[in-house]
Amino acid sequence: MAAWGDRLAGVRGVLLDISGVLYDSGEGGGRPIAGSVDAVARLKRSGLKVRFCTNESQKSRGRLVGELRGLGFDVSEAEVTSPPPAARRLLQERGLRPHLLVHDEVRSEFDHIDTSNPNCVLIGDAGDHFSYRNLNRAFQVLMGLADPVLLSLGSGRYYKQSSGLMLDVGCYMKALEYACGIQAEVVGKPSPEFFRSALRELGVEAHQAVMVGDDIVGDVGGAQRCGMRALQVRTGKFRPSDEQHPEVKADGYVDNLAEAVDLLLRHADQ
Amino acid sequence: MAARRALKAVLVDLSGTIHVEDTALPGAQEALKRLRAASLTVRFVTNTTKESKRDLLARLKKLEFDISEDEIFTSMIAARNLLEEKQVRPMLLVHDQALADFKGIQTRDPNAVVIGLAPEHFHYQTLNEAFRLILNGAPLIAIHKSKYYKKIDGLALGPGPFVTALEYATDTEAIVVGKPEKTFFLEALRGTGCEPEEAIMIGDDYKVDVGGAQDVGMLGILVKTGKYRPGDEEKISPPPYLTCESFLHAVDHILQHLL
Repeated sequence: MAAWGDRLAGVRGVLLDISGVLYDSGEGGGRPIAGSVDAVARLKRSGLKVRFCTNESQKSRGRLVGELRGLGFDVSEAEVTSPPPAARRLLQERGLRPHLLVHDEVRSEFDHIDTSNPNCVLIGDAGDHFSYRNLNRAFQVLMGLADPVLLSLGSGRYYKQSSGLMLDVGCYMKALEYACGIQAEVVGKPSPEFFRSALRELGVEAHQAVMVGDDIVGDVGGAQRCGMRALQVRTGKFRPSDEQHPEVKADGYVDNLAEAVDLLLRHADQ
Repeated sequence: MAARRALKAVLVDLSGTIHVEDTALPGAQEALKRLRAASLTVRFVTNTTKESKRDLLARLKKLEFDISEDEIFTSMIAARNLLEEKQVRPMLLVHDQALADFKGIQTRDPNAVVIGLAPEHFHYQTLNEAFRLILNGAPLIAIHKSKYYKKIDGLALGPGPFVTALEYATDTEAIVVGKPEKTFFLEALRGTGCEPEEAIMIGDDYKVDVGGAQDVGMLGILVKTGKYRPGDEEKISPPPYLTCESFLHAVDHILQHLL
C-alpha cells in the first residue's frame, strides 16, 4: 500500500461512524472504545471538519447523543446524520404513508407523518420488536398493496453490543424481500444518497472526505462508491476476515479511531 | 429420448394428493391397494414440518390407508439423516409435534441449526442465538424455504424468509433438505433399490412435487386435486409427464401404460 501521506493527502473532512467506532452500545448506556473520546476531541480541535454518520435506528438522535455525551464525547444532535430525518423527507416527497416496524423509541421521529391507510412499510432496527407477529403484519400490509414499497433504514447484517453480535435491520429487510418478491429501498448507509447528504452537511466534496467505520461493506464500501476514502477500524463488529473481503479494500486498516486520528492529524490537510 | 427402464417405484405426495386434512380423496385407498398388487415399491413423501412420522401414520391409518411406517419419508427425516451423517448437535427450530422425529439426537451444546415451520421460535432472541451459532461455523439446515402459507385469517410467513435472513446475516447458504431439492428425492429412493429413472412421482404441487421429481430423472404426474390451479401444468419445463384428475386416475394410467 502507498504511504499514509499519499493516502490521506487532501482530506479536509471526516465522517465518523458511531457504533463500533466511538462506542459499543449495550446495558447501562454502553461503553466507549478505548481512546475514542480523546480522538474525537483532538479531531475537533484540528482544522478538519467533523460529522457523525450513523445508521442508528433503535434510539432517537436525542437519546443517542445523550448517551454519548454521558460517556464524555463531544457530540451534538446537529452534527449527526441519521436515517429517520432522511426517511421523513422521502416519505413526504413521495406521498408515502408508512406502516412502521421500528423500535418504540424511534417512532417519535415519525410523529408528524400520516400513518393511516398505509401504502408502504418502513422498517428500522426494531430489535426485540422483530417478533413473528410484527413481521407478519408488515408482510401482510405489503402483500395487500398493488404497488408494494418497502423502505429500510439501513441494510446492515449485524452490529456489536456489549453482550455480543446482534442481527440488524438488513436481515429482516431481506426476509420481507424474499417473502414478497420485491426489492427494498435503503435509507441510510450504504445508500449513496445518504452519504451525499452527509457530505453536504459536512461541507466538503467527496474526494476531500474520509469515512471511518467498522462495517467493511456498509461504511467502507459504501463510502468508497461515493468517491470518498475510507478507513476500517478493528473495533466494533470488525472480524479478521474483513481484511480479506473479496470486494472491498479499505484505504487503510487501523486498530481503532485513536490510531485513525493520529494518522489524520499527521497527514491530512489542515 | 433415452429409453426408460421399467417402472419399479412410485412416490406419492400426501396432503392434497391422497387426503386433505382428515378426509381421504375419493377412491384413493382402493387405488393404493391396486398399486401394491402390481408389486411396485411405494413411498409416501411429504414436506410437513408440523407432524412427526408417527402422527402421519396414525392419521393415514385412520383413513384406512394400507401403509407402514417405513414407507413414509418426510423432510424431517431427511434433516435427521443429514444430522447423523454430519454428526452434529442441532438447535431445533421446529414445531413441538415434530420433535419426535429427532428423538435420540443430542441437542445440548448445539453446533448446527435446523429450521422448519415454527413461528413460535421465529422471534428476535431465538433467531439471534441461531445467528451466532451459524456465524461460528454451525451448518444451517432448512427443512424447506417456502415463502408463506395460507391460514384462515390470511397469509403467514413460512420458514423461507427467516432462513434468508440468517443466510444474509452470516453470508452462508442453507442446506435445504425438503422437496423440491434433488437430495430429497434421492434420499426417498435410497433403500428401495430403485434409480430415479425407474420411479414416478404423483403430487398436486407442480413445482415442488412434479418439477422437483422430474429434475432428478423421475417421471412426474400432476393431479388436479389439493393445491392444483388450472394452468399449473404449463408453468414447468418440461411439462409433467401426465396431468390427470386424481390419484385414482394416475394409478389407472400407471397400471395400464407403464408396466
